[in-house]
Amino acid sequence: MKMKITVRAFADYREIIGKEMELLLPAEKTIGGLLADLGDRYPNLRREMFTPAGELKEFINIFINGRNIAFLKNMATPLSDGDIIALFPPVAGG
Amino acid sequence: MYGWIGCYLRIDLGSGTVRKESLPAELARKYLGGRGLGTHFMMTEVDPKIDPLDQKNKLIFAAGPLCGTNAPSASHFDVVSKGPLNGTIAASSSGGIFGPMLKYAGYDMIILEGKSVKPVYLWICDDVVEIRDAADLWGNTVPETTEAIRAATDEEASVACIGPAGERQVLFANIMNECGRAAGRSGVGAVMGSKNLKAIAVRGTGAVRVPDIKAFRDTVVRASAKIKANSVGGQGLRNFGTDVLVNILNELGGLPTRNFTDGYFPMADKVGGESLAKQLLIRPRGCYACIISCGRATKVTNPKFAGQGEGPEYETAWAFGPDCGIDNLDAVTKANYICNDYGMDTITMGSSVACAMNLFEDGIITTKDTDGIALTFGNVDAMMEMVRKTAEGEGFGKKLALGSYRLAESYGHPEYSMTCKKQEMPAYDPRAIQGIGLNFATGNRGGCHVRGYTISPEVLGQPVKMDPRVTEGKPALDITFQDLTAALDSSGMCLFTTFGLGAEDLAELLSAATGLNITTEEFMKIGARIWNLERLFNLKAGLSAADDKLPERLTKDPILTGPSKGLVNRLGEMLPEYYKLRGWDAAGVPTKQTLTDLGL
Repeated sequence: MKMKITVRAFADYREIIGKEMELLLPAEKTIGGLLADLGDRYPNLRREMFTPAGELKEFINIFINGRNIAFLKNMATPLSDGDIIALFPPVAGG
Repeated sequence: MYGWIGCYLRIDLGSGTVRKESLPAELARKYLGGRGLGTHFMMTEVDPKIDPLDQKNKLIFAAGPLCGTNAPSASHFDVVSKGPLNGTIAASSSGGIFGPMLKYAGYDMIILEGKSVKPVYLWICDDVVEIRDAADLWGNTVPETTEAIRAATDEEASVACIGPAGERQVLFANIMNECGRAAGRSGVGAVMGSKNLKAIAVRGTGAVRVPDIKAFRDTVVRASAKIKANSVGGQGLRNFGTDVLVNILNELGGLPTRNFTDGYFPMADKVGGESLAKQLLIRPRGCYACIISCGRATKVTNPKFAGQGEGPEYETAWAFGPDCGIDNLDAVTKANYICNDYGMDTITMGSSVACAMNLFEDGIITTKDTDGIALTFGNVDAMMEMVRKTAEGEGFGKKLALGSYRLAESYGHPEYSMTCKKQEMPAYDPRAIQGIGLNFATGNRGGCHVRGYTISPEVLGQPVKMDPRVTEGKPALDITFQDLTAALDSSGMCLFTTFGLGAEDLAELLSAATGLNITTEEFMKIGARIWNLERLFNLKAGLSAADDKLPERLTKDPILTGPSKGLVNRLGEMLPEYYKLRGWDAAGVPTKQTLTDLGL
């Protein structure tokens, strides 16, 4: 059983992976697994998002259906069919 | 004195007298400058109960001790007065180069009193201070005024002026400097208009003295490096400007839509920073000594909305965009240009149009009220026409010129106004973000985001990530951010330096500039003192705890669609703790002990 996941990229990340993509993923995939796959496909995205040690860089925000994964289970957060992932580099304003 | 000049101007526009007065050192240390110092003088010299447009109100332009030094982004000054939009103490901050020029001319502050019998402008060039006739300038837009005054004085002069909106005392008229920078909120431009003061032009050739140039330079280098190393302060704001927030707020479900009837706008991306960078951006623009450059020099080529200028910032893009149900970036940008040219606050302007659209859609007003215009959400032409009518003082625009609260109240429905203390809230939905709701409700000048920007931890994850949906810990968070900002606004620094600098860095910069040992604790205490002083002014003006509230819509009507569907703000869970932590009683009044502790 495959899940349909939508990935939206913002700010600088759009230059790397485009504005939006839909992916079919195996049911047991986590957000960490998805980002690892994307990192394999887009090495520049991995460089932008992760340290050489594989840690998420500071001030990067990853939302699943509007919830920051920091308030879910971080990289271990499981994905569900229909989820919308939003990837934000460090941004600010006011 | 170091950092401060130690001298300020007191000008009576009625009699035409100009006095130079010394700034007491103990007062400077107690309130720093800008917002803090201005509020002190308002509190001691003005009856808080007066009509803001009465000549007894004062208008204070004040810089801080760091303003004009080469500290990073040390450009800010504040305009302090009693604000006509809502009767609270108003302090509106702006960048550009006006603040540094004022100090180079030899002044920390200008206190303007009384009212001129005819239109005038001030020309300040070092020791020379002249009150000049402005009859020929009255009616001119901001760019026209700026150009004419520079031609008549000095091409290097910084000009802070009002446009036609300030002359007509539109209650949210602003004061523009360098054409594109604004002391934007609370209607300080209307106070300037009520005094028949069109502009202040200033040129200074002096400098700001610091006690040890090398030590100060070393501190500046360290602070600049911290901002540059910060991925937001160093790169993010320059690349996409503040408008990049449109998408992150929308993806969170916290982008107020159609006058806060919803918190999600499916077409948001069309008015976001990414679209702006691709379609309209000429180049990023910074203020004096800025290493961030959040400003946007833009150009619209679409013939229908053609123009060139500054903006839009995030709040502006939201106010004329999603808040009005509009996704046309060209129109949004053109509306921004009109506001800049006429001197109007874009947040209140856009929100007032959104409020009118809401009233129209619900049948409370009709085309008979709106000069025949179908004021429906998403109607681009209607939005543009309303901005124009307000700018020109025509028809329904005269009602919009009073802001959304008076507009909605005049039709018997003040609940349609999305305001706190009668000032329009900015672009963050408190139903999706609990802490910012508490900040709006307790804001000393009403709905405002730049005096307690909890969006930073609650949405952007800086300096730490805090869950926007929980209320626990938010009262303490709000207080910290409010106090930090009050001290920062009074120091002369730009708020965006806090994307990289903390209170300890700002205290270190202040110490190096002034030669005083200002600790982090003292810096934060100065902020708390200013916040409480503003509170005291408002209480004396007649406000009370009953004014510390959100529009009922935000606590009772859940968000309808998007990721935050079903959420409301839970202000009642936070407000009592906020009062307690502030050292206020249950009626929201600072206790004697609190005032004693703060030296008030």
